[in-house]
Amino acid sequence: MRAELNQQPSQTRKRALSTFEFVGHHRQTILLVAVFIALFTFFSITEKKFLTTRNITSMGFQLPEIGVLSLAMMITILTGGINLSVNATSNMAAVIAGLYLVKYVPKDAPESQIWFALVIAMLLVLLVGLISGLLNGFLIGYIRVPPILATLATMTFFTGISTGLTGGATVTGFPEQVAIIGSKTFIGIPIPFIIFFVVTVLMYIILTRTSFGFKVRMLGTNPVAANFTGIDTQGVLLKVYALSGILSSITGVLIMGRTMSAAYEYGTTTYVLLTILIAVLAGVVPGFGSVVNVFIAVLILQVLSSGFTMKLAGIRGSSFFKDFAWGILLILIFIVNYLTKMRTSR
Amino acid sequence: MLNKIIRSNEFVIFVILVALSLVIGWINPAFYSWATVFDVIRASIVYFIMAYGLLPIIIAGGIDISFVAIAAMSSYTVHMFLINQGYQGGILLYYVLGCLLGAAAGLLNGILVTRFKLPVFDVSLATFTMWYGFTLFFIGATANFDLPKGSVGYYARFLITFQDPNVGTTGLHESFLYVVILGFFIWWLLKYTTLGRGVFAMGGNRDVAIRTGFNVNRIQLVLFIIMGTFSAIAGVTQGFLSRYFNPVLFIAQPLDVLAAIILGGAAITGGSGSVLGTTLGVLLIQLINRALILTGIQVEWQRLVLGIILILFTAIPSIRTLRARRVGRMIQS
Repeated sequence: MRAELNQQPSQTRKRALSTFEFVGHHRQTILLVAVFIALFTFFSITEKKFLTTRNITSMGFQLPEIGVLSLAMMITILTGGINLSVNATSNMAAVIAGLYLVKYVPKDAPESQIWFALVIAMLLVLLVGLISGLLNGFLIGYIRVPPILATLATMTFFTGISTGLTGGATVTGFPEQVAIIGSKTFIGIPIPFIIFFVVTVLMYIILTRTSFGFKVRMLGTNPVAANFTGIDTQGVLLKVYALSGILSSITGVLIMGRTMSAAYEYGTTTYVLLTILIAVLAGVVPGFGSVVNVFIAVLILQVLSSGFTMKLAGIRGSSFFKDFAWGILLILIFIVNYLTKMRTSR
Repeated sequence: MLNKIIRSNEFVIFVILVALSLVIGWINPAFYSWATVFDVIRASIVYFIMAYGLLPIIIAGGIDISFVAIAAMSSYTVHMFLINQGYQGGILLYYVLGCLLGAAAGLLNGILVTRFKLPVFDVSLATFTMWYGFTLFFIGATANFDLPKGSVGYYARFLITFQDPNVGTTGLHESFLYVVILGFFIWWLLKYTTLGRGVFAMGGNRDVAIRTGFNVNRIQLVLFIIMGTFSAIAGVTQGFLSRYFNPVLFIAQPLDVLAAIILGGAAITGGSGSVLGTTLGVLLIQLINRALILTGIQVEWQRLVLGIILILFTAIPSIRTLRARRVGRMIQS
């Protein structure tokens, strides 16, 4: 991961890369693609039901939630921070939008009114994400609370809001149209996956093609130096956590669409650690990290999870094997990374 | 001297603790009782132990979250193994086997970190997932309530007992002794051994520590073994205190323990931290958790209040350092 330091000068100089350099700069991406292809091929050969439209579509419905959430986590890690409140934010956004839909939209409302309400609900979701992100950004950027503490506290706070508003119950009874986001396909591609893909592309552009993205990476590489170069570090942090909040709230919409419900407890604890795991698998470290790698890492985890669930179907506790496999895979990738780095640096 | 104490982070946390107790006691006088004190201590025991094991690693500049998984794996595995063997003896064998497993698991983290030069956090994330997956898939996925005959009654073995008019007999549980012993051990290790000084040196500046002559790899290995052992002790103790063994023990708690240590004044980047601060940090978080029940706030809103308190309390030390820095800058100019 440290060797990726080389990436900076070559990008600015814009000269053609030799094959050797290309491999050096994109080692993590190449490794991840190789792992993905290997796992995909393995499961396709050994499991008849794996390479079917049905299974691929079902994976396309499952992975976007964790995918968008991982992007929300990733940008905060890029600045040298962390955002433990991602999942709490998405649940809070979903709960607030869900309560609005259930309480203020009559069941027999005309279609146009429902669509209008849905637009309002989506705006509400994004607003909740923005506000919660701004709170994190304020605590971390301006009051200088360590990110891990600040977001742990806001995680409890946001979960508290969802619990309080719902009394711990699940919010259900949304208009049918909400399900379009979670269970419909567009030219055969699941809509959540399209959303995930669009978000990934947008994030790629933001992080690699804008001055904001450059500042984010500078801040992660060396906060002191970034400060002395005149970057408004507090403002950048505020924006990063706001963006992270908005991304988290988009996940809230995806969860709402898939389950047709909202609750304070969806994915608690496991989702947060899973997003960190994906970021680590993708080789995201403060200052360096690629959105493409995160995208592939999400695909890998989904393939591994679906594959092992199929393979071990019927065995007691089979769904837990994937956790074990994820851990082993992560360790193996670390070791391969270390060994290849040794070779290239020699 | 007095000035130094007042300025220390430990003192701030202590003041917050006292202030919080006064507020809760003012809302509900029932808070002032031995029952509450022992209840908070009993709830904190395992967190104290895990936090003490984790503290040196944090001071040395690493962040670990796998300690909870090690606690769950070692305690649950030992329990299931012994129960299947028909073991009916006391608790000592649990601790011995648990510590061995825990130490081995800690050593695995340590080897991965030192041999392959990996960040502590990344490795711990992998082993966190791995150990929970391992326990749930290979050992068992349900909580087990069978206890060996020799350990029955252990949960109520008190050092001191009190008669409380509301709760009945309460007391200070025997396992509090472990907390005291382990806490003093870490304090001694950090303060009076070369290894301990190396831990601080590593956290302050790793390269300088290496050039000074500290064997940082060996230090890290030892710290991970300690962490694994302490986690196992905490896991087994929790099993006997709650009278069942759980494969997903503490799965939601790693960040709470981490927060308690950071709240107690340890820098997340390493180089500083103390046993006293950690103790106060753990107590503060447990007190908040327990006390909310006594304040009469509706259950569904309690978590919200907890969140607000946490936001305020994590912000207070930061605001203090901000102000101190600003004053420092004024003096300089």
